[in-house]
Amino acid sequence: MVENNEIELSEAEAEQYDRQIRLWGLESQKRLRASKVLIIGLSGLGAEIAKNIILSGVKSVCLLDDENLKEIDLYSQFLAPPDKIGQNRAESSLQRARALNPMVDVTSETKAVDELPDAFFTTFDIVCATGLKQEQLERINNICRDSNKKFLCGDVWGMFGYMFADLIDHEYSEEIVQHRALKRGPDDTEKSARETVSITVKRRAIYVPLQNALSADWTKPELRSRLRRGDPSYFVMKILLRFRDEYNRNPDPAKRKADTEILLRMRDELVKELSIPVGFISDALFMDVFGIISGAAAVVGGVIGQEVIKAVSQREPPHNNMFFFNPVKCVGFVELYGQ
Amino acid sequence: MVARVAGVLDEKLAEAIANSKILVVGAGGIGCEILKNLVLTGFPQIAIIDLDTIDVSNLNRQFLFHKEHVGKSKAQVAKDSALSFNPNVNIVAHHDSVISNDYGVSYFKQFNIVMNALDNRVARNHVNRMCLAANVPLIETGTAGYAGQVELIKKGLTQCYECQPKAPQKSFPGCTIRNTPSEPIHCIVWAKHLFNQLFGEEDPDQDVSPDTADPEAAGDAGASALTSEGTATGNVERKSTRAWASDTDYDPEKLFSKLFGDDIRYLLSMENLWKKRRPPTPLTWDNLPGKDNPPTQHTGLPDQRVWTVHECAQVFADSCKVLKADLKRRPDGDHLVWDKDEKSSMDFVTACANIRAHIFNIPLKSRFEIKSMAGNIIPAIATANAIVAGLAVLRAQTLLKGNIESCTSVYLRPKVNHRGQLFVPERTLTPPKPKCYVCAPKPEVALACNLKQLTLKDLNNVFKEGLNMQAPDATVEGKGLVVLSSEPGETDHNNEKTLEEIGLNDGCALLVDDFLQNYEVRVRLQQEDDEKSWRLVTDTDTPMLGPQEDKTNGSNGAKEPKPGPSRSKEESDSDMEIVEEDDGGVTTKAPKRRRTEKSDTVVELC
Ligand SMILES: [Zn+2]
Repeated sequence: MVENNEIELSEAEAEQYDRQIRLWGLESQKRLRASKVLIIGLSGLGAEIAKNIILSGVKSVCLLDDENLKEIDLYSQFLAPPDKIGQNRAESSLQRARALNPMVDVTSETKAVDELPDAFFTTFDIVCATGLKQEQLERINNICRDSNKKFLCGDVWGMFGYMFADLIDHEYSEEIVQHRALKRGPDDTEKSARETVSITVKRRAIYVPLQNALSADWTKPELRSRLRRGDPSYFVMKILLRFRDEYNRNPDPAKRKADTEILLRMRDELVKELSIPVGFISDALFMDVFGIISGAAAVVGGVIGQEVIKAVSQREPPHNNMFFFNPVKCVGFVELYGQ
Repeated sequence: MVARVAGVLDEKLAEAIANSKILVVGAGGIGCEILKNLVLTGFPQIAIIDLDTIDVSNLNRQFLFHKEHVGKSKAQVAKDSALSFNPNVNIVAHHDSVISNDYGVSYFKQFNIVMNALDNRVARNHVNRMCLAANVPLIETGTAGYAGQVELIKKGLTQCYECQPKAPQKSFPGCTIRNTPSEPIHCIVWAKHLFNQLFGEEDPDQDVSPDTADPEAAGDAGASALTSEGTATGNVERKSTRAWASDTDYDPEKLFSKLFGDDIRYLLSMENLWKKRRPPTPLTWDNLPGKDNPPTQHTGLPDQRVWTVHECAQVFADSCKVLKADLKRRPDGDHLVWDKDEKSSMDFVTACANIRAHIFNIPLKSRFEIKSMAGNIIPAIATANAIVAGLAVLRAQTLLKGNIESCTSVYLRPKVNHRGQLFVPERTLTPPKPKCYVCAPKPEVALACNLKQLTLKDLNNVFKEGLNMQAPDATVEGKGLVVLSSEPGETDHNNEKTLEEIGLNDGCALLVDDFLQNYEVRVRLQQEDDEKSWRLVTDTDTPMLGPQEDKTNGSNGAKEPKPGPSRSKEESDSDMEIVEEDDGGVTTKAPKRRRTEKSDTVVELC
């Protein structure tokens, strides 16, 4: 995907990125430096993702958002200064985003996603979408697919969050640690005559589009067996996405009581629809889904940022294909849906 | 007015946050992230302590700092940046070591929660004790590469930071370093020792000359003939390396011939060493491999390329000149401190390690690789720090809501586990270890040593290094006799006396106390004739805790700040040392060795 970049890193780059090059190597850093990233939605989650990706040293980041900064954003959105309330979120975030790493070209786009032509999205190597409706996500995912561009999306509601990735047909290298005997002298008897060596292997992972993952068939036995593991995060995500689709907004803290009731009603409907055991999706899960809590945005934004880095650097196995953060148990896990 | 929009947080939590006061220790990778989360969430009162200043290699993750901040105080810049996210909170920044009388038990008591974002064990141990003494919950965090952890420490309820003995630092036998290196790291340790012998603080434990007391060389005709001119400690009687180098005015060619010619020939004369090993090849200055290579145009970063031996010799000569000049500029008696981020220091170690590696037929390494090993660099990335800091602040919120029982440890794994989990929480809190020598109601530990040899000065080191005390006072149990006093001068006259000479014998117990840490431990003395150094034993079954050198790449209070040019600028990079989640096993018995001040690696006695 990302063009192979033969230009060596400069001394300044080597110095600034030293601690991460020691983790993922020069090749990965070169790939990162060649990649163009689109981030849609500059909520607190978008800001976290942007921060992580800009710090890593990609070629360019475009911040796309047509919404204006609201007071509630300030709970988690640290790129837009508090005095920019009422102004466009992407534009307001530009100055601080650029200051994070002057070596990255950061731009903004204030058009609505629906007004942008397909061709806009395919000018990037990877698209990372937050805060959109299911239909919008699926459109962009399909555009990316058709041009063989990687797609990720995710959201944080309160303390809960998820991520989905469609890396299509993804090739990557993985470092594997092996133990092997160490040769020294002809009859060396030293105790530690073994060493661990890491070798790099090439691997491949096949992904499915978002609509497959979101329409997973829960009548199938392999999915029903997942119910026994007992984590309802997938359903919580479905309910919150439905809420957004239906009401054209996220649950509103000012309407905490009314919105909680709606969410619980939607929960009951989904339980019936997918014949999930009653009580499996507890009420407690809908208590902390208002606004975006900074800690949760950092957690999910950290995971998404790392997945973007893995995807463009083609190093280390990326998550296939959904990640959930369940704040009640403080567990973060990966599950494959829609295959 | 901090909370901005009602209804985002549930009422109980919003109120608890509004009344909270949090201390963040460390403003590095995790500290910056924690501070951001606290400020955005609306924590109204925050104090942050960090002793360090900003370095360019921090900028890939410590996002509150930018290029123009390099060299400035981390705590202060972090405060200023974080306030721009939410000017309504109150942040107090301390550009200071947390290990200080200014931050005593009463200081810690004012906080609802202390959050550790440290990079070294010494400061972690200290804050652990302060929080135990002040009975304040401590949220301990760390990352290493892709991995990380968050752990709650609460007196009487959970394990403390020191309940599990930490794995001792890797160490090498002195004779391997001096006589028979077989891996690149052996040459790197030798090169760092050489740096100290020539330019740094001279330390007899860091001798770089051939070791004639090597047991492997025993009975060796060549060696025994030579031992007559050696001392009892096995060091060849000669001027100190420093004095000799100074006499030759640090002439690179003469130094080279001595270190990589004469000393190697000397080693060759110890024939027993080479019966089963490939013998080393001495080098001569004007006939080095790579000398006749045609000049090639190298692309890429010079750090990433392995230099030829000839190039190494050039770098050796150049760096010697610079370091000599640097040393001469300083007042008499002052010395340089090795720093991986100082160009000539790093060049010198790279060149010397590689020349020695070539001599012993060990693969040569690039400057980049040698820097990792010599500087103990733990890779650090923005994303892992963000995740761990996010989890830590969410844990702090749970704690403030009063759900302490659910604040179990959480591990960020580098890859998902067999259950697909990337963040793995423990099911329950881990209860304190009843025999922990720090958090037990009556802490106790045995000190195994040879009372006929261990001096009072050594004993002071045992308490400082083995028990992590800052200013120990010791009295004899039952007698009230003061053996060691933290008051300067009070017991110094006894420093060179052995424990036996001051009347301590097997079975005696000392009450050792650190006033600042509000920590007292009973130390039972255990006579062991064969013990060359000392060993701490927590209970009869689990021997542990030898004299150990922690990675002292610490900013926060690993050492008292020493202003001035020769201050150790040991790095604050590694945001942690990770504790494995399946860390149930007993750590192996620490080998007998002596800790050497200011060295990163420990040299065992042979
Ligand atoms: Zn303990």
